Amino acid sequence: MHFEGSVEIAAPRSRVWAFVIDPVEAGSCGPGVESVEASDATHFKARAKVGIGFINARFVLDGQIVTVTESEVAEVKAHGQAPGSAVDGTATMRLSDRSDGGTTMNWSADVNIAGTLASLGARLIEGTANKMIGQTFVCMKTKLEA
Amino acid sequence: MADATVQETPQTTAAVGGMGHSVKRKEDPRFIRGQGEYIDDIVLPGMLWLDIVRSPYAHATIKGIDASEALKIPGVLAVITGADLEKAGLHWMPTLAGDKQMVLPTDTVMYQAQEVAAVVATSRYIAADGAAAVLVDYEPLPVIVDPFKSLEPDAFVLRPDRGPDKANNHIWHWESGDRAATDTALEAAEVRLSEDIYIPRIHVASIETCGCIADWDAVRGQLDLHMTSQAPHVIRTVLALVSGLPEQNIRVKTHDIGGGFGGKVPVYPGYVLAVVASLTTGKPVKWIEDRSENLQADSFARDYHMHVELGATKAGKISSLKVRTVADHGYTDSAADPSKFPAGLFNVITGSYDFPNAFVEVDGVYTNKPPGGVAYRCSFRVTEAVHAIERMVDILAHDIGKDPAQLRMENFIQPEQFPYKSPTGWEYDSGDYPRALKKALDMIGYDDLRKEQAEKRARGELMGIGISSFTEIVGAGPSHDFDIIGIKMFDSCEIRVHPTGKVIARIGVQSQGQGHETTFAQIIAEELGFPVADIKIEYGDTDTAPYGLGTYASRSTPVAGAATAVAARKIRDKSRKIAAHLLEASEDDLEWTNGKFSVKGSPDKSKTIQEIAFAAYTNHPAGMEAGLEAVDYYDPPNLTFPFGSYICVVDIDRGTGQVTVRRFVAVDDCGNIINPMIVDGQIHGGLTMGFAPALYEEIAYDELGNNLAGTFMDYLLPTAVETPAWETGKTITPSPHHPIGAKGVGESATVGAPPAIVNAVVDALWHLGVRNVDIPMTPQKIWAILNEKGVTA
Repeated sequence: MHFEGSVEIAAPRSRVWAFVIDPVEAGSCGPGVESVEASDATHFKARAKVGIGFINARFVLDGQIVTVTESEVAEVKAHGQAPGSAVDGTATMRLSDRSDGGTTMNWSADVNIAGTLASLGARLIEGTANKMIGQTFVCMKTKLEA
Repeated sequence: MADATVQETPQTTAAVGGMGHSVKRKEDPRFIRGQGEYIDDIVLPGMLWLDIVRSPYAHATIKGIDASEALKIPGVLAVITGADLEKAGLHWMPTLAGDKQMVLPTDTVMYQAQEVAAVVATSRYIAADGAAAVLVDYEPLPVIVDPFKSLEPDAFVLRPDRGPDKANNHIWHWESGDRAATDTALEAAEVRLSEDIYIPRIHVASIETCGCIADWDAVRGQLDLHMTSQAPHVIRTVLALVSGLPEQNIRVKTHDIGGGFGGKVPVYPGYVLAVVASLTTGKPVKWIEDRSENLQADSFARDYHMHVELGATKAGKISSLKVRTVADHGYTDSAADPSKFPAGLFNVITGSYDFPNAFVEVDGVYTNKPPGGVAYRCSFRVTEAVHAIERMVDILAHDIGKDPAQLRMENFIQPEQFPYKSPTGWEYDSGDYPRALKKALDMIGYDDLRKEQAEKRARGELMGIGISSFTEIVGAGPSHDFDIIGIKMFDSCEIRVHPTGKVIARIGVQSQGQGHETTFAQIIAEELGFPVADIKIEYGDTDTAPYGLGTYASRSTPVAGAATAVAARKIRDKSRKIAAHLLEASEDDLEWTNGKFSVKGSPDKSKTIQEIAFAAYTNHPAGMEAGLEAVDYYDPPNLTFPFGSYICVVDIDRGTGQVTVRRFVAVDDCGNIINPMIVDGQIHGGLTMGFAPALYEEIAYDELGNNLAGTFMDYLLPTAVETPAWETGKTITPSPHHPIGAKGVGESATVGAPPAIVNAVVDALWHLGVRNVDIPMTPQKIWAILNEKGVTA
């Protein structure tokens, strides 16, 4: 599944960049994340509870943040497993300066969901995933603008 | 009765209840009181539970399995992995189709929901908690869900275990008929049409899922396996061969079974894991699938992509049929077909029509889906064949502007052509196709419906009438052609008559709801005159029942039913000798009527079968063995060919695309009928299981190989609310080679119904330029067609 969108953030690009490459800061905005801890400067582990329809799964996620272009393009890769389900995803964030001093974040995400969650939640999965991923970037905006 | 004469009315009294009586089912008192005994009802002392860890990925490498957290849970006793099984050489097992299947993977998972590990615990809940706590480290691999992509030269090779010589995903090629003659006839045909027809994956969705209790007794060296199986004897033999346990120390018991339909023929990994767990722990171990496991991992049916070409004259006389088929088998071929027939009996595809030329070919292909190729209430791919031919004949009729009923009448194999040799090699035993279609046309009032349709079309309403005049092929099968992993497809019956004139008979076939305890008693009642109430039928215990190949493909009555009649006749032969002794008459002077032997010309001098039974133990002739029993292992000389004509009337809602089956007439001919009520019940159930895939059922996958129909919310079954009121009728054309002239009926309706419904829908839409609609014909699919044609309301 492929999703994309953009958010306007009323914060300078340097601040946004620092946020998105910080595993704990960025990771805590992930869908359903209950806890997150950094293993090192670029890797993190998170626990997330995800519900689609009547199916709930508690995922253990391994994530990595990769700087593609310094201060401009970052990529988050995550692999998570729950009993009978798995998720693999990559999100790309592209930052650009706005004339008002804020930042535009264009994001795209490719997510593969496998197993019980995909099988039993199939009819709802795309809408739910779209909503949850959108919320991730809204969360970043909210925290950065606070 | 003499062989193969038409029996329209019962020859026995209602009290005896032989053939033709609608005897109430002997098994129903326990079923309707909730007193049936299904696997999950059985609880053995000290019994443990097994639950299965399943793969979220459709294709992935297993990098590691960590069971340490699971083993910390109190009550979790063991976690079994592929590596454990590999030590005993049990990580792979053979399939019935001669391929091999993983019990548990050691390195690669091949479909979503595949078994990865098993957890043994003291309760079902703890076992489930344990399964959730097993951590498996996967590395996803490319997934192939489309069989055509699987055949591309650069496709990822799914089964490298087959060796470097088979570095592709093609399993086998099978063909039948004369390719060159068919090509020539097609080239020469005045009218030549072709169509791509797909029958999707569907699932039998029995009310009872699969399960077992394996009970190993190390002291006695005895393994009892209580399981949901349609073929318990074959399971026992395979278990003996695979495990090395002596076959006399393996007992397979089936108990009551809540629906089979083909899905309980294969050996699933869960059964093997329960056996391994019991052998390991020395305790009984129960495994019961839940509904989602059943829908996601058990053997599927269908999944045939057919390209069909038909040649005919402009007047509508058919000349040639050519079919190219890609069969998606999932990651292993575990189809339950007879060994020599990898595509089952698919080459009966010329159906009820007299085709001079035909050629059919099938290629089996691997994909990242669960294995299978079981029947779904059909005799080995006959449903696919019937669907294709009944669709093509209808398209031809519409193309040349001839009424589909008339075109069928003009192309039927005629009654005087039987026995009829088909261009793909079958010998049809008997049939009267025009009579069945005529009866169906009369029952439904065909001419009036066509007038109504014309009026409605003029008003813009969408109404269609569809016909299906199918021929089935059942009763596998003759030993010269039919075996499963080498075991010939005979079947058996053993009858013992007790001194008081009561009877126990054991049969080699199994009942999954068919009513064998009643119908097989009626065969014995017919042949020997014992009342049905005095006859007990047993099956499903390999320690007591004679060896048989089991119940599927409508083979019980054609094969074991024949064995039962022949065994009964052996008893009657011995009874004649005893009667001659008792009546002090010559055997030749005795005649058999109504359950007794009497002296010709002196009807008052007679002995009833009950008196003869008593004498068999108390006063048998000198030199004769005591007792009155017989056994027969019946090798059928041919298959039987039930048939019928179905007519369906549909109305389609222009606004929603909803198809409503307004009427459905089913005229079936299954030869002589043992129990009309049970036959009617079989046809009602079969029609509903034909209606279901036509409009509702499909196991669909996303591009990652996720099964998108893992619950009954997404795998839609019709309820009584959606199901139309069936109108049934019959003709009787006995099988000439079957001892009681019967043919089998369990699957006819499932096979015959879907194309009648599709033909009706296409008939309603033909004037819009619609030639074919693949099943299931969901409102969404029909609405999209209407929308494209610009006719949505």
